[in-house]
Order: sequence, then structure tokens, then C-alpha cells
Amino acid sequence: MNSIPNHPISQSPNSSAPEGSVLVVGGGIAGVQAALDLADSGFFVYLVERTSAIGGGMSQLDKTYPTNDCSACILSPKLVECGRHLNIKILTLSEVLSVEGEPGAFRVLVRQNPRYVDPNKCIACGQCAGKCPKKVPNEFDLGLSKRKAIYLKFPQAVPLKYAIDPRYCIRLNKPGRCGLCEKICPAHAINFKDVAREEVLNVGSVVLAPGFSPFNPSDIDFTGYGRLPNVVTSMEFERLLSPSGPCQGHLKRPSDQKVPKRIAWLQCIGSRDINRSGHAYCSAVCCMYAIKEAVIAKEDAHGDLDASIFFIDMRTPGKEFEAYYNRAIEKGISFHRARVHTVLPSQNDDNLLLRYADEHGVMKEEEFDMVVLSVGLELSKDAVELADRLGIKLDPDRFVDVDAFRPVATNRPGIYVCGAASGPKDIPRSVTEASAGALEAERMLSPSRWTRTKKKTFPPERDVHAEPPRVGVFVCHCGTNIGGVIDVEAVRDYARGLPGVAFAQDNLFTCSQDTISRMAETIRKEGLNRVIVASCTPRTHEPLFQETLREAGINKFLFEMANIRDQDSWVHQNEPEAATEKAKDLVRMAVAKVKLHEPLPYNSVSVTKSALVVGGGIAGMTAALSLADQGFPVTLVEKGSVLGGHARKFYRTWQGNLVQPYLKEITAQVESHPKIDLRLNTTISSVEGSVGQFRTGLSDGSTIEHGVAILAIGAESYRPEGKWLYGENPNVHISLELDQIFINDPESLKGVSQAVFMHCAGSRVPERPFCSGICCTHSITQALELKRLNPDMDIFMLYRDIRTYAQRERLYQEARSKGIIFIRYDLDHLPEVRQEGENILVEVEDLTIERKLVLHPGLLVLATGVRPRDEVSELSKLFKCSVSADGFFLEAHMKLRPVDFATDGVYMAGLCHYPKSMDESIAQAQAAAARATIVLSQDAIPTESITAIVDQRKCTGCGVCTHVCAYHAISIDPAVGKASVNSGLCKGCGACVAGCRSDAVTLKNIGNRQILAAVEAAMDTM
Amino acid sequence: MDKTSVHNKEWEPKIIAFLCNWCSYAGADLAGVSRFQYPPNIRIIRVPCSGRVSPNILLDALKSGADGVLVSGCHPGDCHYISGNLFARRRFALFKRFIEFLGIEPGRLNFSWISAAEGEQFAKVVTEVTERVRALGPARRLVKEI
Amino acid sequence: MSTTNTVITEDIRAKAKELLSSGEVKAFLGFTDGTLPMTTRPFVARRPEDAERLVWNSFCVMNLANYLPELLKGVEPPRGPKDPPPEGPLPKVGVLATGCWSRNIVVQIQENQVQRDRLVILGIGSRGMVDRKKVMAQVGGKEILAVEEGEDSLVVEGRGFKKEIVRGDVLRDNCQVCVHPNPVIYDYQIGQPVPAREIEGRFRQVDEIEAMSSEERWSWFQNEISSCIRCYACRNACPLCYCPTCFVDDSRPQWVGKSVDPVDTSIFHILRAYHCAGRCTDCGSCESACPMGIHMRLFTKKLEKDVLELYGTEAGMDPDVPLPLTTYKSDDPQDFLVTEAGGQASEQGRK
Repeated sequence: MNSIPNHPISQSPNSSAPEGSVLVVGGGIAGVQAALDLADSGFFVYLVERTSAIGGGMSQLDKTYPTNDCSACILSPKLVECGRHLNIKILTLSEVLSVEGEPGAFRVLVRQNPRYVDPNKCIACGQCAGKCPKKVPNEFDLGLSKRKAIYLKFPQAVPLKYAIDPRYCIRLNKPGRCGLCEKICPAHAINFKDVAREEVLNVGSVVLAPGFSPFNPSDIDFTGYGRLPNVVTSMEFERLLSPSGPCQGHLKRPSDQKVPKRIAWLQCIGSRDINRSGHAYCSAVCCMYAIKEAVIAKEDAHGDLDASIFFIDMRTPGKEFEAYYNRAIEKGISFHRARVHTVLPSQNDDNLLLRYADEHGVMKEEEFDMVVLSVGLELSKDAVELADRLGIKLDPDRFVDVDAFRPVATNRPGIYVCGAASGPKDIPRSVTEASAGALEAERMLSPSRWTRTKKKTFPPERDVHAEPPRVGVFVCHCGTNIGGVIDVEAVRDYARGLPGVAFAQDNLFTCSQDTISRMAETIRKEGLNRVIVASCTPRTHEPLFQETLREAGINKFLFEMANIRDQDSWVHQNEPEAATEKAKDLVRMAVAKVKLHEPLPYNSVSVTKSALVVGGGIAGMTAALSLADQGFPVTLVEKGSVLGGHARKFYRTWQGNLVQPYLKEITAQVESHPKIDLRLNTTISSVEGSVGQFRTGLSDGSTIEHGVAILAIGAESYRPEGKWLYGENPNVHISLELDQIFINDPESLKGVSQAVFMHCAGSRVPERPFCSGICCTHSITQALELKRLNPDMDIFMLYRDIRTYAQRERLYQEARSKGIIFIRYDLDHLPEVRQEGENILVEVEDLTIERKLVLHPGLLVLATGVRPRDEVSELSKLFKCSVSADGFFLEAHMKLRPVDFATDGVYMAGLCHYPKSMDESIAQAQAAAARATIVLSQDAIPTESITAIVDQRKCTGCGVCTHVCAYHAISIDPAVGKASVNSGLCKGCGACVAGCRSDAVTLKNIGNRQILAAVEAAMDTM
Repeated sequence: MDKTSVHNKEWEPKIIAFLCNWCSYAGADLAGVSRFQYPPNIRIIRVPCSGRVSPNILLDALKSGADGVLVSGCHPGDCHYISGNLFARRRFALFKRFIEFLGIEPGRLNFSWISAAEGEQFAKVVTEVTERVRALGPARRLVKEI
Repeated sequence: MSTTNTVITEDIRAKAKELLSSGEVKAFLGFTDGTLPMTTRPFVARRPEDAERLVWNSFCVMNLANYLPELLKGVEPPRGPKDPPPEGPLPKVGVLATGCWSRNIVVQIQENQVQRDRLVILGIGSRGMVDRKKVMAQVGGKEILAVEEGEDSLVVEGRGFKKEIVRGDVLRDNCQVCVHPNPVIYDYQIGQPVPAREIEGRFRQVDEIEAMSSEERWSWFQNEISSCIRCYACRNACPLCYCPTCFVDDSRPQWVGKSVDPVDTSIFHILRAYHCAGRCTDCGSCESACPMGIHMRLFTKKLEKDVLELYGTEAGMDPDVPLPLTTYKSDDPQDFLVTEAGGQASEQGRK
């Protein structure tokens, strides 16, 4: 059943129409996000993953910065969504062998390696792994623990199916031996005869998301890695920290399982190091993850840990990163600006001796219990080979080559790339690029939307309102998983005797295909109107059983599960009687609760298929074009009288492209696009409605209706009026003013003999604590431009940390090689700027040589960074969305929803989210368009069924509910002074219910009545 | 249910747990998947968010005869609903202090944050809470004598 | 004899008369003398001449904020439940407010029960009100027929006795520990502000109970409420209680039984007090209204103490500071959590 037939092109009405399907390669967070965005907007997705489960590198991380979210926890729901998606086919243990054809009509050859476990039968009970005698290194824990030859990649694996590792399996290597797993498997899922299969997939576009591989430091001899057991890589350290890792979340060092008291992190291992690792680039994520690992390790040790980070420049340029860094300093993490040159075994125990030169060149020696190597990112060997097979060009750093203005397009038309494969980057930027990749992939497939997708249909539902409850209880043995501990028959008989129960049955595997169909039949035949399944966890199986209810013609919310496996038989294996009693209680509780369930509507709101984009800069124009090209009408509102925003002042991107020609081109496209209604000199005056149906009033008096909105209002340069001679001396400029001279009058700069750049001018100070991220790179780009204009010019860069993150590092190296001089200062030694006659005088203390320097520049450039616009707060009030402490728009989730607002149907792009370079802005704008397309591609979008509802007779209008609602879904209706719920916005969390003193708000089917019924049933006090 | 004798060997405490769907309930599942064993005295009620749990519900559990109550949600910052657990944290802190002030034994009401990855932590918390409640004996103070 | 209170009474009358005469307010809420000595009752003056009946003395114990929402509705032009609100500004009401009452008004503003622009507040710094029960105790429970109030003393007279009592000795418990005697919002100041107080042992009574064992606290609580007859006078006197259906009357689900069984009574008092968490200003109306002498103020005082200790706020001090249960901080204390080591902020409050 795994062979995919060549889908006849005739499925689409027009034979020249593109394929309505997309191939995504790589099941890490980027691939998963791209797959979900595409499948949710009407395309069938093949998701090809090399290993036995999706999840990628993110699934191995412990926590994520800057929020310290648990990585597995936030990732897992996405994986489950992907696994359950009707229009995503996950091909695990698979590789892409070739891609032939044209954009819109690619033929992809895929090889699927054998799993030796039938995924349709495997119930993931784990009995096979329990019996398997072959212990092997667990790659998921990077070899720090063991697994069996038959294994689940990690506990939250999707698909949640075991696989046999053919390298180690005794039976596969010596036929006739072992085979214990086959004997014990209660579901008969083991298939030793499984073979590799090749198949051809017809797709319209391809998105590559092969991810990264951590740099292997085995050859970096000075670190001792591989020789000294307590020197680990950062990825290994993540596993050591992780609650699901080898130490169960209680960090111990490998050599002797002692709890380390002193840990050192060595930065830039395999990054910024052309000599030893061959990697000239900065890996962009290591500074932040090292800080995070230090913070988490110190927290876990309740502060009893000396954590030291040895670094060259501390690079924390992302949103909320600088604040995270500052908090780490407050928490007592030590930061040493020094490069360690030797790691030696100490005389004591298995400790490690670090030798390094401090900033002033003084040799130091310090002992640690453990050393973490902050290893860089590189493209894996597999990915390099894949690129090679597919004819995808790599850049000199051996990442996939992309263009500044098309940041997710590869050299091969129709094939896109996202995530760390095109350069080192963190999770939010990978997720952003994934959505951008989805946008590029679907852009030209738009005519074939919904042609390859599947849709489920159900019979009409029986109205059960008037019927007394007739509960059916299905108790599952789950092979021996439940039945081996719990007396399932006794539970079944007990259920039969409960009031309201009309039917009870036990099944070997309730989730098996045949039992499911029989269950639907039983529901119909017995006239059941409430159903309980007592088996495993609703988190994985509730949707399956709810679908069965729908197939049987009753509302899916008339259902409840009793979790008698994961939360009973598996955790009370040695107490069968108590486990059986508990199972009876859980069934009784479920029955009591489900009797009070009511059928709920499958809510949806119809969608106005047009978009509003606010802001006509690069981000806004990109977003508008991305949607308009797919055929969706866009109203583009710009406050000013011309398009272009910030980009009009920009000379070159950091990659070296001239900005003005590109700007001219994209502006012309926007102005002439038939689907774009351009409103210049216009602002937003009012916003009503919610996702799918916004009505927005404009300052020109008109009202537009739109389904989604993208806010891309940019930001502004900080102008330090009256400081550092700005506005007083004609030769003092902020960065973008120098760019304008480059654009308009470069010749005037040729005569300058000395130029000084002051980095962090007004950034990273208490008044503006964040780092703008882009100014270091921009300043160096400008310094190089000055050198081009006048190679003899003396250029001094006064900096605090040089933050040329990722591949921008190349510019820093170039600048140094061209003789540009870098002088570091800190907040205690600020450069002084004075006027001396006509001249500028800059006095700065060089911290390395501890000497004062006096400079007389003919040009002083203030890299002042970015400031959020005041309009951010105005618009956030209109669209009911949030603003961060720094004054930028706040996304729904820092890691996994980087372009969405918490308010559905509203997205952000560009500088209004946070300072970023132009390629990042473009990717984010495309991502915002992709997220918006999910809404625009549907006629109606489903909304939550389990929502809050207000009994206005009991409501006092006190408004507590409105304050505790994170979604602005409940508000006080001014006409009556009572609360009312916008069920389109409500997510069903119940915060309002718990906040209400008057018991006026309830949550459908999880109201106080239902919860109390379960409580009282648990105590048998009904 | 025999509530009269602490020394009755038959007596086993019964604990009601309210677990948020996204983190703690998943953590409890993971305890199962990992086969971490814990005492069978707990009865879990799945709620969307720890922010759904009001003091009224906690009182009702005690009134219904629960010997102990556990509420667990996502760690601060991890809430699926953005801030539900943060509002809950204030309600719980005040309510727990309050009813203990009025003489409800410390240990009857228990709160924790357990993530979806903390299966072992879940088993430990349940064990800890069960032992504490067992040491307190049957809860009588808010149960009507019939 | 002219005392602070008699001067204030005159000022109130004059200002109320002015406001009513000019039509700025449609009604004025203050106090008038009660039928028994040492009692007053809330009084609504609707005509200028009613102002003469207003009084201010040491027995103005009921919190006027409690009557404001109803009074504001009462002065609105009549309309059906589905009619839209009338055009234009609604009539205003004048009211007296001391420190705690003004803070309750702030809470009511925050909870949309009253509108600031419909109130004309006459702010009075409170010197503390007298507890009638304490005065009666001073004379051995004999019937008091007349009281003469001096500046710092009371002269009480009954059949065959006359006694001068130091005012400070008979102040209400809540007034003795009051740190915010002056109104936080007002339009006109009546009398002089009272010097701000910083009282040592502001939570002394709570501290004492916290120092007891769990068993002793439970006995104290049960003993306190054992005389409760569930008359709800405490609830009715409370400016925070305005639900159309009180939880005690809910039947689906029934949160609390209607009997005077100790469990039902306990749950009533727990929930009533908890509903005041972060909102109570310790005005003492509940205790003053209680016919059985229950010290239910201590319940809410505990919550007041914890809110201040944990979240650093006090109810109604500033309309722009959100009520503590409608907001959060990412680093709110959470030492109440179960920890693996078995440590827990158990006997909290003692630390």
C-alpha cells in the first residue's frame, strides 16, 4: 500500500495546471512547519524523513531560549498535528534519490527503507523493546545511553511506532536466531521480511529542510574531546540536562556520575575558526544556547554551580536575547572574554584544567569538573549529498546558496530551502523561513489548490437532546498492556452496573480497524448517545474515537476517555487489585461526566478572501505581492506618500546587493499589480471583527472588509539629538545618513582621511537595553565601502561586542584583513566625543592595551540602532494584539509562532517585530503571507467548539474575565454592562470561568457541573 | 468509606488531581510510557489549563471527601494558553495560604508545575503527595458527618 | 462644644446643600442618626433641605460604597431592560468617603460598578470609628440612654450612671490598625487630612493566629463561626458583594449547603472571604453588621496581608493598578509548590 501510483494529471481540469502537491524533505521543525502550512492551505504534502520519526534536532533540546520553554513540550503538539494531518503523508526512513522535471511538475524518486514493524499494527506498547536482548548506543542521546535494536526514537515520536535497526538486530543478521520481539508483540506487527521500496511522487514544488548537524570536535585536539570523558559537546549537554535524557534531568558528568559544581563553556568550537575547523562563519546560536544551558544548569543545581562561559564576542542580537544575557549576569554566570587554548586532565579526579590568556594577555589556569564545547552548525554529509544529487548550489561556507532578495529560493527553480541548511540560524528564524518556503512553494501552484487534498465526510448527526443518557463503555485490554495488570472483565461488568450505562464491552485492541468499525455499528444498533472508551490516553486517541462517533452519526463531543493504561496499568504494574479499583473509579468518573456532556456545534466563520497589509516598506510590499500573486485581493495601506520605507535610505545588503535597483523593481510590481489596491497617505482608524471577517476603517473615510491583516509598519533609526555632536557637526552621521551619501554623493567621501564608527550608540544601555542586531554588520559593510572609495582611509570601529552573526562574520574578517582597526570599549569606559574648533575629537580607552587613544576623524558614524515606532502601540490596541517590553510587536510564541500574533488572523513582518536585515525581513514577510494564506484559502475556518459562554443573568459586569482572557475573546457589552464571549476568538482555556466569582461564565462540557460530577464520582459521593 | 479510624489498615487516601491537558497530563502519560511506578491513590481529572481550576472546585473536592488534592499545570512561560497558569498561580497561592490559615492541614492542597517531558518528576510528585496525605490521615475537616 | 466631628457635620451639610441646590447631584449619600444611641444609618438626601439631617460622628460604621451602585441606578431615568442607555451624561450622586470607603469606590470603578464621572466625593480623613459593643462592655452591658461626644472622649449616660470613656480605647479593631485613613480619591476635602499612620503590628491579629498550630487554627475558625446563623448580614453590608445570584444560592452546582452544619458554614465563610481577596479594604462593615459578633474581618485580613506580602499591592489605592487576581508577574512567588525534596511552603505565613 506504500506505492504511490502516478497521479493522473487529469485530476486537475486543465492538463497544464501544476501539481497540487509538494514535497518537503526533512522532518525537523522547519520541515514540519512547511508541511503544516502547505497542507493547511490546500496542498497535499509528502514529508520525507531520513530517520524513523520526525522532530529533528529540536526534539533533542532540553529548554529553548529566551523563554526557557521545554523544547519537547512545545514541539510535540506540532508533530502530532503533522502525524494526524489528512493531507500530510510522512515517509520515514526515507531518502530522496532524484528530482526530475520542471516547476509545477516534478517527478521525485524516493526510497523508503524497511522498518520491519508494521506501523498499521504497532500500538507502541514497548513490550518488544522490553524483551529485545540487544543493547546498542542510543543516537537520540548521542550515545550517552543505550537503547535496544528495536526502538522508539524518543517517547513523543511521531509516528509513534517502533522500528528495528537492521544494523544491530540479531534475527536480521543471523536468520533463525532470536526473534523474541515477534513472539511477544501482541499486535503481530513485526515483519522481518520487510524490504526497501522505491516510489515516484508527482509534486509541483519541493521544499528542502534537511537541517544541520552539530560540528564534530574530535579533531580539535586542544579540547580533549573524545579523550577526556567530561568534555562534552553542547548537544550532548542538552541530553544530559533533559528530563527525558540519560540523567533524567539531574545533571551528572559522564566519567563518574558526580554532580558537577564547576562547568566551563568554550565558545566558537567549529565556528569563526578557519584554521582548525574550516568554518569561517559564526554559528549564530551558540552564544545564546550556552547562556541558556548555563542558566538552566545553575537553576537545576539551585544556584550551587559555578558556570563560566569563555567567549570572543558575546553575540545576543535577537529579540529578548540581550535581556536574557543581562539576567544571566545577574544570576551569577561568569563571562570570560578569553579563548581557551588548552584543556588538560587535572590531577584531581576526572577534573579538567583550562589554560587561557585573558583579555590583557595574562596567562591563566582554572580547574573545572566539566567542559561543554559550544559546537557550531554545519550542513550534514547526507544533506550535502542530497544537494549534489539535486543540483543545488552550495555557498563557500557549504550551506545552500540563497539570494538576499529571495532568501528561501535555491538556484533550481521550484526548489526552495529553509532552516539551518541555508546558513546557521535559530528555531524562530527556521520556522519563519519554513513558512516562507511554503509560500514560495505554493505561490505558483495556486491554481491547483485543493485538487490533491482529501476531505472526510460524515453522516448527519442524530439529535440526542431529548434522549436520556445511554452510555456505551468500551474497555480495552490493549493486548496485555492493560489486561496484564487490570481485570478488564471486572471493569466491564462494573461499568454495566453504573446508572445510565446501556452497554459495555471489552476489546483486545479498541483502536484496531475492525473494532473501530464494530464500535460505530454498536453505537447505531444500541442507540447509544454517550460513549466512553477506557484505554490509553485521549492525547493520542481521542480524535480517532471521536471520528468514530461522527461516523456513527452522533456528535463527537458526547465522548470521554478513561485513561486506564498510561495513567493506570503502566504505573501500577505490581498492584493489580488497586489498579483495577482505580480503573473502575476512572470509568465511573468518565460516565458521570459524559452524562452531562452536550452536543456542541462544529463552529466556523466564513472568510472574506482578501487581505489588509499595513505598511509599504520592503516587508509590506513583499507580503502584499506574495498574497496578490496567489490571486487574493490586497489593500496596501501606507502612511507616507511613497512606497519603500526604510529601504529608500539603504545602500547595500550585507551580502553586497545594491538595494535601490531592487526597490525600484518591487515598487513597480506593487504599483501595477491588478490585485493590489494601494492607499498612500492613509492610516488605520478603526478595526472591528475578528479572523475571517475584519472591517477596518481607513483615514480616507472608507471601510474595507478583509479576512486577515499583516502589520509591517517598520521602525525608525534612533536619532541621538544633542549627543556625540549629532546635529551639531556636519561630519557626524547616523548609519543610514551615511548610506544616503553612498547613494547620492559617494565622491564627497573620498577626501576623508580618518573615519570613526561608534557602535551601540544608544543601544544596550539601560534606557534602550536591547541590541539592534544589524548595526555591527551594517557599520562594517559601510567601513568596507569607505575603504573601496579610499583605500588609504584610517577607519576605527569602537565596539562593545562585534555581532556579525552567522555568515556575516565573513565581513568582519574582511574588515580586519583590510586594516580596519577595532577598539573595544565598555559601559565603564565610554568614548568621549568633543568639538575642537572645526574638528571632531574622539577619546577612547583601548581596553586590550589599556591606553587612551585620541582620534580626529573627518567622519564620525553613530551606529544608533533601531527604535520601535509609536504606532506600534496604537495599532496593537486596534487589532487587540500585544507589544513587548521593548516596544515591538509581540508574537504569539517566540519560538514556534514567530510571525503570528496571539490574535488569530493578524500577522507581523519586518522591523516592527524586531530589528533585522533585509533578507530576514523578506523571509518574514513571505512567512506572514503563508500564514495568512491558510485563512484565505478556506471558505470558512473552524473555530473552537469548547468555548466559554456567559449567563448574563448572573453576570455583574465586573470585568475580571476580560482581564484574565489572553485572547480578548470576552468583553463587557457596553449596551447591557454584561460580559459576552466572541466564540470565534475563544480558545476554551477556562481562565474566565475560574476567575468569575458569580459563576456566570462556564466552559461548554468542562463546566463546573461536569468537573464536580467527576470529582464526586471519584469519591463516590454522587 | 471508613473515615473514622486513622489506624484502620484498610484506609487508603484518595487524591484528586487536576492536570492541564498540555503539560501535566502529558507528563503523567510519559510516566506511564516510561513505566515510572507511583502509588495508585490518585484520580486524575483532565482540564484544559491549570487556569481553569478555581478555588471553588478545590473546596468541592475536599468537601466530597478527597484526602488530598493536586493541581498541576505547565511551567510558567509554557502555558498553551499564554498566561492561564500565571493567573492560576496567584489564585492558588492565596487560596492555599488562606485555607491553611483557617486550619486545613498543610499538605491537603498541593500544586506543582510538571511539563510534558517530566514523566519521572510526575511520578515523584504523586509519590510525595500521597505519602504526605497518608501521614495526615483521612480528611475530615470539610466533610459532613452523616 | 465644637469638635472635629461637629465641624465636619456642618461642612457636610453645607456642601451637600450646595450640590443639591445647584442640581450638580441628584442625591447625596451620607448618614443620619439612628434610633438608638451610638447608631447611625445611611441616609440619602434628595432635596437641599434634607441636608440638615446629615450627621458625622464616631458611629458612622457602615460603608457607604455598598449603597452606591444601587443609588446610581436609582437616579437614572427609568428604562426597560433592553432599552439602550439614554443619550448624554447620567445624573450624579454625592457621597462621603473616608480612606477605606474611597478605596472601595476605586475597586467599584475598576469593576465597572460605578463610574467616577457620576460621583461627587466628599473626602474625609477618618479618625476611626467607635465600636458600640466595646462601649457597652465598658459600662458592664448596662443600657446606655445618651452619649455626648467630645473631641477625644465619650460621655455615656444611663439609668444611675454617667461615665467618660477615652475614645481611643473603644475604636473598632479595624480602625486601630488602619494605615490609610485619608481618602485616595475625592472632589472636595471636608475637614483636615488625618496624619498618615504607619502602624506596627498592622497584621498583629493575623500573626497571632498564624503562630498557632494547624489544629489550634481549625479550633479557632470553628469556634468563631459556630454561632453563625447564616443571616448573610456580613455579605449584605459588604461593598464588594454585588452578584445577582450569590454562590450560596446556586443549585447547579450547589457549592454550599444551606444548613448551619459546621461544614456548610465553613465553606460559606471560606468562599465569602476568598471572593474579597485583593479587593477588601478592611472597612469592618461585615463585623459591624454581624448580629452574632463573629470576627470575620480576620479572614479577609489574612488575605489582605498575603496580597501585600506576595504582590505588593493593597486594594483600591490606585485605579490604574490592576486588582491582584486580574494580573500577574512572570516572577510571582511560587514557594507554595510541591518540590521533589518534599519541601513545600507548608506552614506558610510564618516565614
